[in-house]
Amino acid sequence: MKPYIKVALFVVIFIVLAAILAALYMFNLKHIDMAKAKPDFVITATLLQKAFEDNETLATGKYTNKIIEISGKIASVKSLENNIVNISLVTGSDLSSVICTFPAITDPSKFRTGDEITVRGVCSGFLMDVLLNNCAVIK
Amino acid sequence: MKRLTFIFILSFLFLAGNAQKYMTKNGYIGFFSHTPMEDIKADNNQVAGVLDISTGDMVFQALIKSFHFDRALMEEHFNENYMESDKIPKASFKGKITNPASVNFTKNGVYEVTVEGDLTIHNATNKISTKGTIEVVTGGINASSKFKIIPEDYKITIPGVVRDKFDKSMEVTVNMKYAPVENK
Repeated sequence: MKPYIKVALFVVIFIVLAAILAALYMFNLKHIDMAKAKPDFVITATLLQKAFEDNETLATGKYTNKIIEISGKIASVKSLENNIVNISLVTGSDLSSVICTFPAITDPSKFRTGDEITVRGVCSGFLMDVLLNNCAVIK
Repeated sequence: MKRLTFIFILSFLFLAGNAQKYMTKNGYIGFFSHTPMEDIKADNNQVAGVLDISTGDMVFQALIKSFHFDRALMEEHFNENYMESDKIPKASFKGKITNPASVNFTKNGVYEVTVEGDLTIHNATNKISTKGTIEVVTGGINASSKFKIIPEDYKITIPGVVRDKFDKSMEVTVNMKYAPVENK
């Protein structure tokens, strides 16, 4: 075999391997670890909920799909199936809160109504409440 | 559009008044489809729902972006390629229990019901009818159901190459734990 064919063959094999690895990497990519992620916005629960109530379209464009670090007082803690926990935060509205969904909290009992908490998560938008997903407790 | 969801659900809550309404904002809807390569599964634990036990009326609303997949890439494709969730952020169901008289809402127990109504996903509405159970428990009502939907019925186009790998239908699981709405 001529040397340049060897080189070409090597390059082709290398590219194919790299492509397979890249595809596998993308395929298995996990969600961003919110505990380590850099927030796009740092805001209180009251202000975030107010932004959506005042102008949903504007707030949706600004906050949806963004990483939000939010602080507020716990209104309720709901333990759901598969270790999923929903913590809702007190806002200026009686009817609407910020609901944060945590993929895994092993000990939800340590969070109590009235505690101050800081949470990082991705904003999914507004239904009756502002919804955050894939959340992690920061403080 | 701004407060449509709000007014929609609030009117449902308050117009008819008194303690016949049950509600949750932490309801579960998930879907599942088996493929030879892997299972497609997503969970949404932020479903809002109201049940009126005097009429059997039920409404659900969910954000598409609240559906969570294990794989980040699958979640991205789901939102961007199939559901177009930036353009169409919500899915909803409005319907009723067709046999509310068969449920004794004052006595704890499990009751079989049939629910019929309009399911709107991806701006396409279809009539569905499904069996489910109502469980009356102390301090609340649990509702659950499993049914199948076909993505094409909701104008969700899945490319041929990928399509062949799916089961034709998706199995949807609904699990709601309602609490009574307190009137102020």
